[in-house]
Amino acid sequence: MIRMIQISRWTQALIFLIGFLILGIALHFFLNSYIHAILISFMINAIMALSLNFITGLADQFSLGHAGLMAVGAYTSALLSKELLSDHWFFIPLTVLAAGLVTSFVGYLVSLPSFKLKGDYLAIVTLGMAEIVRVLILNWNSVGGPRGYNAIIKFPNFLLSYSFSVFVLVVTFVVLFRLKKSWYGRNLWALNEDDIAAEVMGLDLVQSKRNAFIISSFFAGIGGGVYAHHLGYISPGSFSFLISVQILIMAVLGGLGSMSGSVIAAFILTILPEVLRSLPTGSVDVRMIVYPIILILMMILRPQGLLGRMELLEFLRSKNWIRS
Amino acid sequence: MEEFLQHSLNGLSFGSIYALVALGYTMVYGILGMINFAHSEIYMMGAFMCYYFALWMGFQTPSPINFTLGLLFAGLMAGAIGFLVEKFAYKPLRKSPKMNSLITAIGVSILFQYGGQIIFGANPKSFPTLIEDQNLFEIAGSQIHLIDLLIYGVSALALLGLHFIIYKTQTGRAMRAVSSRPDMSPLMGIDNNKIISMTFIIGSVLAGIAAVLVSIKYPKIDPMMGSKIGMSAFVAAVFGGIGSLHGAIIGGLMLGVGEYYLIGYGASTYRDALSFTVLILILLYKPTGLFGSQLKEKI
Repeated sequence: MIRMIQISRWTQALIFLIGFLILGIALHFFLNSYIHAILISFMINAIMALSLNFITGLADQFSLGHAGLMAVGAYTSALLSKELLSDHWFFIPLTVLAAGLVTSFVGYLVSLPSFKLKGDYLAIVTLGMAEIVRVLILNWNSVGGPRGYNAIIKFPNFLLSYSFSVFVLVVTFVVLFRLKKSWYGRNLWALNEDDIAAEVMGLDLVQSKRNAFIISSFFAGIGGGVYAHHLGYISPGSFSFLISVQILIMAVLGGLGSMSGSVIAAFILTILPEVLRSLPTGSVDVRMIVYPIILILMMILRPQGLLGRMELLEFLRSKNWIRS
Repeated sequence: MEEFLQHSLNGLSFGSIYALVALGYTMVYGILGMINFAHSEIYMMGAFMCYYFALWMGFQTPSPINFTLGLLFAGLMAGAIGFLVEKFAYKPLRKSPKMNSLITAIGVSILFQYGGQIIFGANPKSFPTLIEDQNLFEIAGSQIHLIDLLIYGVSALALLGLHFIIYKTQTGRAMRAVSSRPDMSPLMGIDNNKIISMTFIIGSVLAGIAAVLVSIKYPKIDPMMGSKIGMSAFVAAVFGGIGSLHGAIIGGLMLGVGEYYLIGYGASTYRDALSFTVLILILLYKPTGLFGSQLKEKI
């Protein structure tokens, strides 16, 4: 039994990897840059959704400030590559990693006040953190302040930037997926089911959730770094509350606790606005009407999301759509 | 010194507004244990209801009667909206995990903000002058405006009314019962659903009144106006100790005064960050807030 799960886990990762690479090479030669941009932003969204899903789905703690963490990552990576590392695309993976580390430190700072009381304080503190980050960037002139930070180094061609994003996404997915299935992930699950019983078994409630938030922040920072080097331009407006909401709805739609669900939901919700672009709504962003309606209806009709806690293969198996 | 007094007076008037809105958060939290993110949008709807009411009634000249009518109408409509939101969005989720109602609350909030932009238009509207502002008198060189006095007066009246309802009536007694033991209160013949609806209505009425008062002082309203004040008011509620009525009032006043000192002494760009900084400090050093009486529980 254990052996079987192990195989399917690796097959899952491998299918993702090969599929994406073949797709990338095909896209590189056959499709235009509009599709390329959508594809990369899908992967960034998926990284962010996975990161949020880890803290919200597994640790049952709500973060409303993932855009703030993303901003920290994006600005860190952009600043590092511009000021320290001679602005060469070769260093992008390095700066993105550094962005992840810096962001996880910010996550640690945020986690200090957040887990002192029962309740949804992490939601409020992260919301506040995102706001503080935004205000600080607005008042920080050497990174452009409200004008934004531009001319960030990008990858020279699509294939490179695509491979990098796929690599980061797959690493994020595999790490979080394995964490979910690990001893630690099961601890978090136990703490959600019954915190008192779990504490009696010797689990440290506060420390476990704090660690979960730090891990989540790390990947949010990585996502921000990839974002900065994908667009080449970031401004405080790119990390507004709406982005946090967008990430949240991806995690919820896919199913809280389901890593593959997040990726699928990120795909759907990256394509959907492009399809909706033709609707006449004046200056209002139509996503912000559709998203909350999806959120409310989902919560009332199917609160567990598309896949619930299950991963894609587990879900298909449970429905008997594929043989186990 | 004059300047200091002036900032304090302005801060107090804004603080009373925070207190009115914070009460809505703290009451809902006290009774359901849930952060009602849509509360700031009910506040926004209060201002818009009053705006359309004034247009519809054709209020041309400022007068105390118009002011009173507008205030009452906004309060009533905000109460009705709060009731409907609770009935259709939160009630179906009463039994599901708290995470779900929180997500729904955020959904409702965004829906109001952006739905409002489509229905009312995204551009700020100028609020009708329901009552003429004038300098009434001076104390130690700082001027007392009629509007500020009205804000103090109306807030004080609303707070007294609330105090009366909570501590002197049967409904208030039931509210306190539901808030302390929701599982036991039905045994005492209390209809929990009715009391929860009642709580939402009272909180929303206060928000609607606050919205009209603010809109008279700063006559620009737009569908996003709720979010900023909502967050500050929530922080005020946590500051005072969430679930505690007097805490919300004192927290609101202190936060309002603090923000005005920041603006007055030249750090106005950091104003938005102040309330969150206060929040983080409170959670770090005194998580139960100033007057929070609840037992300390982990996560």
